[in-house]
Amino acid sequence: MKRSKWIWLVWAVVLLSYLVPYTLLSGVALWYGSFLFWMLAGLAIIALNVFITKDFEEHSND
Amino acid sequence: MTESLIWWSIAIYLLIAIGIAIMSRQGPSESMSGYFLGNRQMNGFVSALSYSATTYSAFMMVGLAGLTYAGGVGALGFEIIYFAGVSLVAVFGPKFWAVGKKFGFVTPSEMLGHRYNSKHVAMAVSIASCIFLIPYSAVQLAGVGYLLQGITDGAITFTTGVVLATVIAIFFSYIAGIRSVMWTDSLQAIMMIVASTLVAFLVIQGLGGFGALFDTLATEHPQSLTVPGPGLFSFVTFLGLTIPWFFFSISNPQVSQRLFMPSSLRSMRHMLIGFLVFGFIYTMVSVLWGFSALAAFPSLERADLATPTLLASEFVPPVLGVIVMIGIMAAAVSTIDSIMLTLASMVSRDVYANVKPNVSEKRQLLVGKFVVPVIALMALAFAELQLDLIAVLSVAASSGLVAMVPALIGAFYWKRGTGVGALISVVGTSVFVLLMYATGNSLLGLPAGVWGIVVASVLFVGVSLATKPHQATTDAFFAAISEELSKKRSTTTDQATKEATA
Repeated sequence: MKRSKWIWLVWAVVLLSYLVPYTLLSGVALWYGSFLFWMLAGLAIIALNVFITKDFEEHSND
Repeated sequence: MTESLIWWSIAIYLLIAIGIAIMSRQGPSESMSGYFLGNRQMNGFVSALSYSATTYSAFMMVGLAGLTYAGGVGALGFEIIYFAGVSLVAVFGPKFWAVGKKFGFVTPSEMLGHRYNSKHVAMAVSIASCIFLIPYSAVQLAGVGYLLQGITDGAITFTTGVVLATVIAIFFSYIAGIRSVMWTDSLQAIMMIVASTLVAFLVIQGLGGFGALFDTLATEHPQSLTVPGPGLFSFVTFLGLTIPWFFFSISNPQVSQRLFMPSSLRSMRHMLIGFLVFGFIYTMVSVLWGFSALAAFPSLERADLATPTLLASEFVPPVLGVIVMIGIMAAAVSTIDSIMLTLASMVSRDVYANVKPNVSEKRQLLVGKFVVPVIALMALAFAELQLDLIAVLSVAASSGLVAMVPALIGAFYWKRGTGVGALISVVGTSVFVLLMYATGNSLLGLPAGVWGIVVASVLFVGVSLATKPHQATTDAFFAAISEELSKKRSTTTDQATKEATA
């Protein structure tokens, strides 16, 4: 799969960031509820971006 | 924390920042791209820090902590969705960069005007950006005002803080244009991330540790750990807040203009990743500040006071509190000066130079420099109005800027998009959003933040289909992107060949 296609995984994380806290986690009033979920979503976004933009390094500058 | 300690710290900060700003100069820049884009030669590290400082500002430390205080963990979700939206840079960044290099664009509005072969599009985008970003700058100024007032118990007034920030912002942008702005941004970003993380650590320690903090929240404010929670973050409100912010990295010209500046795609990558790491830490810290304030001071008069109260509390040693306070002030300044520069470049490049053809670069630059303080003074006037809840007001700005999003996406992905479509989409949506805010911000139960993107998309697609695109400019635009970005492929192929033969 082309590296840039992985951006769809980012959009999937976004979708889950809307759905999960408002449904599954809406009754979990603890740190490992929505707080942890969104924190992990943030880390996943960083990892995905590192991966997706790897090809940028190979672009010639001029 | 005494008033004299605060003034001395401001003086020391100014001395260092002015020193850095002066050192950042590289001879006189007489071209628009020299002054406003740093000659497209910015390296990844400075770009990352400056991008962070421009994006995260008074809103973040005062507004997001306040939003967490008032609405609970939903504030984190809101910020994470914005954060995920910055991934749009990974998609659009190289394309912006490629056409910027090829056609010499200085502003995103100039790019749109060229792509759709319509001066009116460039002018409309510039004017709409001013309409929405000047209040947004005012929000940053108000942040400084609240902060200084809160932390000194009123010894430094709201107005003094606001005027101070305005003067510093004008000064920083005048020294060397974007170069001095980016270097002073970098200074404050580093200072900020170190000091604010330290504060979060100390406060959480003071409250008995991470576990104790969350235990207190779970027993005394259980709703703060869930959404919708205490009520601020109903799903509809959450959507209305997050949709505009999701598109922030391409809809806001003060950050999308940054996509023209990196010296290479490699630098752009460093800018993006550096920003994401910075932003993640900053987000967590701000949210934890809000939670700590809620646990320690549950009955504040206004949520925006969460950060100042925390900084003035016994958990934070006065010197550290002052450093963070200066950092927040500098953060607000770094956002405003970038916005001022961007808007000034748009007004001179896309409004002035289009109304009065054949004006020289030098003349454009002169007009741009004249517009900088005018914008600052308008923001100052708005800030003096002292409107409530900082975060919500700055979101009004983002709802409006969503008007550009379909035209921008279409510029790169939809050859059928037309100038008339882009123009009507930008103007129509801007007017629509303004009307929404003037009439209570609710249509069929949904806020402008949700409607904006829908209205803009329908107008752009609908009108484009009913009109004809300008084929020649469209083709040239797309050809430039593939030409510039294909340099990657040939290099990769070369390397692959080398590796295969080795």
